[in-house]
Amino acid sequence: MSEDIAIRVRGLVTRFGKQTVHNGLDLDVRRGEILGVVGPSGCGKSVLLREIVGLDPPTAGEIAFPNADAEGRTPSMGVMFQDGALFSTLTVLENVEAPLREHTHISADLRSEIASLKLSMAGLDAESHHKRPSQISGGMRKRAAVARALALDPELLFLDEPTAGLDPISAEKFDRMTEELARSLGLTVFLVTHDLDTLHAICDRVAVLYKGKVAALGTIPEITADADGWVKDYFSGPRGRAAGRGAAGG
Amino acid sequence: MAATAAFEFRDDAEAPVLALRGDWTVDTIAALEADLRDITERLKPGSVVDVAELGRIDVAGAYLVDRTFRDSAGDKARIAIRGKHDTAMQLLAAARKSAVAPASKPHGEPGLMGFFDRVGRVMGDIGEEIIATVGFFGETLVVLGRVLVNPKRLRWTSIVHIMETAGLNALPIVALLSFFIGMVVAYLGARILGDFGASVFTVELVVFSVLREFGVVITAVLLAGRTNSAFTAEIGAMKMRQEIDAMRVIGIDPMEALVVPRVLAMLIMTPILTFGAMMAGMFGGVMVAWAELGISPAMFFARVSEVVPAQHFWVGMSKAPAFALVLAIIGCRQGLAVGGDVGSLGQRVTSSVVQAIFMVILLDAGFALWFLELDI
Repeated sequence: MSEDIAIRVRGLVTRFGKQTVHNGLDLDVRRGEILGVVGPSGCGKSVLLREIVGLDPPTAGEIAFPNADAEGRTPSMGVMFQDGALFSTLTVLENVEAPLREHTHISADLRSEIASLKLSMAGLDAESHHKRPSQISGGMRKRAAVARALALDPELLFLDEPTAGLDPISAEKFDRMTEELARSLGLTVFLVTHDLDTLHAICDRVAVLYKGKVAALGTIPEITADADGWVKDYFSGPRGRAAGRGAAGG
Repeated sequence: MAATAAFEFRDDAEAPVLALRGDWTVDTIAALEADLRDITERLKPGSVVDVAELGRIDVAGAYLVDRTFRDSAGDKARIAIRGKHDTAMQLLAAARKSAVAPASKPHGEPGLMGFFDRVGRVMGDIGEEIIATVGFFGETLVVLGRVLVNPKRLRWTSIVHIMETAGLNALPIVALLSFFIGMVVAYLGARILGDFGASVFTVELVVFSVLREFGVVITAVLLAGRTNSAFTAEIGAMKMRQEIDAMRVIGIDPMEALVVPRVLAMLIMTPILTFGAMMAGMFGGVMVAWAELGISPAMFFARVSEVVPAQHFWVGMSKAPAFALVLAIIGCRQGLAVGGDVGSLGQRVTSSVVQAIFMVILLDAGFALWFLELDI
């Protein structure tokens, strides 16, 4: 079976001092899918994200990008950090222009037009483009951060807790935006979340990290079918059931 | 690896055709922009985009194609596509759907009016800053009074900690600087007074200037740079992380928990540091007098107790608490005035240090006039 694998993680080990975060973790992310990564707090979801994008080195193990490696290049990535991490001294538009300014030779006009387009794709209206990150709401900051992550049209998009701290309606809109962007731009999305609604609504597959390994991987029905222990508690607790009903009914 | 982007424009029988070649991505389109502008006028409604030979395309590339069409045929014009390229069709649709006119950047008034506008604003800001600082001064005095009446509310742990970090730890650098200043003054005295054959008055010059001015001013300026910035940055960072709001919600008065301990610690430590600075400054003078003029330390101090009345010492020391109060209050107020972003933290720390040094020098001038009039 030859699958189109965008990210391949093999035998990943991460230790901080005596604490082992990942203990021989294997994970494949297929090209073009939205993979939701869940797990209890402190199980190393964000650390895994940081290691894949190259911010932190793993203690041992291998992270490869088979698709890109075959063509002899490093894949382009965009990352949205939990609180946006927008540059606070720049306006929202300048934040999105920053990667373009750094890596391309596009004229200033076209650059700001492309940045505006990205912001509009992420659902930000023109009013907010010239505001500073501190002048807009948390939800808008997250959208601006997605626009910045998409500035250079990456193949891989990493989202760290995209809906945390958003009200349910904004969270749902954000989910829909993520899905629309991912489908229309053909992105591979690696999405770390705690939001069960997000998992049900937009994720093609879900990976459950537990005790340093991927405890379960597959679509939600596949996972819940033979779930036990933490995974079962997670998906069939009151919140999990409610989110499942919502997704099935709506 | 990436094929260069190119296009060919030709007038076919039925409609003009724009044939895209190579990869149209954010890395490759820079060169095409000008060329595309040239053909904008020749594109008509009903023109066709040929994507048969197109390689990769991304949002930026799709946007550029879409923009070219919109510029020539209007915003509503549909783009007819010839050839099959799924990504291109998807992205062209996405680019069209989200296309927006870029918001115009808000500009200030240009030219001379803009200059006056800015000057006026700055003046207004300075006025507001003065009123706010004086207001904060009053508020601090009230809270300080309330706490002193009810000393159980004093936070001794905090006070002692600040006394150590902001006061005691500054002693070596304050003493060292003051030592050098004492030396410099003594050299000046030895040189200039020596020309008049009055080099023995170097002792008076050093002791008068160090006791009355340099000891306390050096201390205050150094504290303005060292401690004020620390106060502003600490409190400002707490403000940014909403710790101050958390305090208020829990029912802890930030004035009482943050400002009063800093004010008290400074009130206690500044006179002690000033004393250290005076001693070190005189020591510097003694060294130079001994080496250059042959006045032994014993002779130096004998002359000091003979000709320098103790009031000069007290003139210097009396300024220390006033400077301490001003420094602590400016540092704390600027910290509490920090807004939500990093830029405002930097700006507030700068204002804190600048205002503190400015106020120290201004107050010192005021004191000089006052003592002169009082004949002290």
